[in-house]
Amino acid sequence: MIEVRNISKSFDGNKVLKEMSVVFEEGQTNLIIGRSGSGKTVLLKSILGLHEVDEGAIFYDGRDFTNMNEKTRKKLRQEIGMVFQGGALFDSLTVEQNVRFPLDMFTSQTSKEKEKRVDFCLEHVNITNANKLYPSEISGGMQKRVAIARGIALNPKYLFCDEPNSGLDPETATLIDSLIQDLTKEFGMTTIINTHDMNSVIEIGEKILFISKGEKCWEGNKDEILKTDNQTLQDFIFANKLYAQFKQNQ
Amino acid sequence: MKDYKTQIKIVILCFREISKVRKFFFHIGRYFHMLGRVFARPEKHKLYIRQLFHEIENLGVNSVGIVVIVSLFIGGIMTIQFAYSMSNPLYPKNLIGLGTRDTLLLEFSSTMMALIMAGKIGSNITSEIGSMKVTEQIDSLEIMGINSASYLILPKVVAVVLMLPVLYVLSVFFGLIGGLVTGPIVGVISVNDYLEGIRWLFEPYYATFSLIKSLFFGFLVASVPAYFGYYVQGGALEVGKASTKAVVNTNILILLFDLILTRLLLT
Repeated sequence: MIEVRNISKSFDGNKVLKEMSVVFEEGQTNLIIGRSGSGKTVLLKSILGLHEVDEGAIFYDGRDFTNMNEKTRKKLRQEIGMVFQGGALFDSLTVEQNVRFPLDMFTSQTSKEKEKRVDFCLEHVNITNANKLYPSEISGGMQKRVAIARGIALNPKYLFCDEPNSGLDPETATLIDSLIQDLTKEFGMTTIINTHDMNSVIEIGEKILFISKGEKCWEGNKDEILKTDNQTLQDFIFANKLYAQFKQNQ
Repeated sequence: MKDYKTQIKIVILCFREISKVRKFFFHIGRYFHMLGRVFARPEKHKLYIRQLFHEIENLGVNSVGIVVIVSLFIGGIMTIQFAYSMSNPLYPKNLIGLGTRDTLLLEFSSTMMALIMAGKIGSNITSEIGSMKVTEQIDSLEIMGINSASYLILPKVVAVVLMLPVLYVLSVFFGLIGGLVTGPIVGVISVNDYLEGIRWLFEPYYATFSLIKSLFFGFLVASVPAYFGYYVQGGALEVGKASTKAVVNTNILILLFDLILTRLLLT
């Protein structure tokens, strides 16, 4: 479980996050949604410690991440898996080496054990026969899946995904969504996904946080979101003609 | 009224200059802060050593070709130029070999080669690290709990510091060969006069001095471009701009340190 307590963050006097409080539950896919520029990425990066917050605190299973010393923070980061928007795979390493990288860095496993773990992770994301290829030689969808495989290599307790299905076709996007949800359930992770894809919201949103202008605007789940009477959220959801039509038909 | 406007202009100009000075000190401070992170204790020595060998090959061994080509040509050109400026029959012929040797030993193979390497290796380092930065690969390392500055920059700095003196020695050798081949072919000097010249009044300290310079230049050639790449913000365009800035600044620093070291070690 990750608890965000009253965090605020400003850049050059411009308040991007305003006293945000939220709890992300364990074993669930938690979604952060909102318009571009609403503060989603800043919130995610603040939770990860890539941005230091101005006020408030972040707790990872009760451990105060904000006031942790660098050494303890580094240790905690080994419990975190991250999937970036563009995959952020290391260009100079093959698919196999990318997934193996965290194992090389943080474990004392034998070569065989690492090989086994790499195969296990790649199998889980349905990647076969691509072990020796470089990121530039595989498709965007495959890159995302390899990034997920690398993210789960160290068996993390927390998985973060920044717009994991942006730039993907609807079929691959759905595949990535269900993959993340399955892995969350299988490994009991606390998963936080940053997205503005409504399909993901409807498919896997077990807990949804909608933010607007740096503030928490709505909190709920996929069953409640389409019935909301929050005007800002309605404007966001029904900007998509398909959902607007669905709403009209209802 | 006119005086009043002039005074405002002067004040604005002063503020601009102050902000430039502040920016300069900001970069100096951030550079040393980055170095502090670079030289922090590595997470896993084995991986760093593997990375070091990779960088020695990538940045050092892969630069041998250009060093050999440039040195061969410059050695030949210098021999012809020395022969031209010493065409007076009163000058002994072996002065041509001596001049070529000392120029290679003292300045060309250390400073000029470092400037060329700043262009080749420096832009390579900035664009590699810069691309990693804009594609979030550096963020990815940080989230894993890895000191990205140390993991990415330390092996490059060590590799270039180790390899630049080696490239210096190669440059001197091939520069002399260039002179030996070109001089007699063009007919400005005989092989014997040239060989006698390059052994005449040899001062070993010149080589020591230049090797010391190469160590300093190696550090600059790797660390300054790494700084520009590590803190780049934006996209591919900014990475390109950072590469240019890195090469220009490294060149200026090489020349500045050349002056300082020459003053300290030769006079």
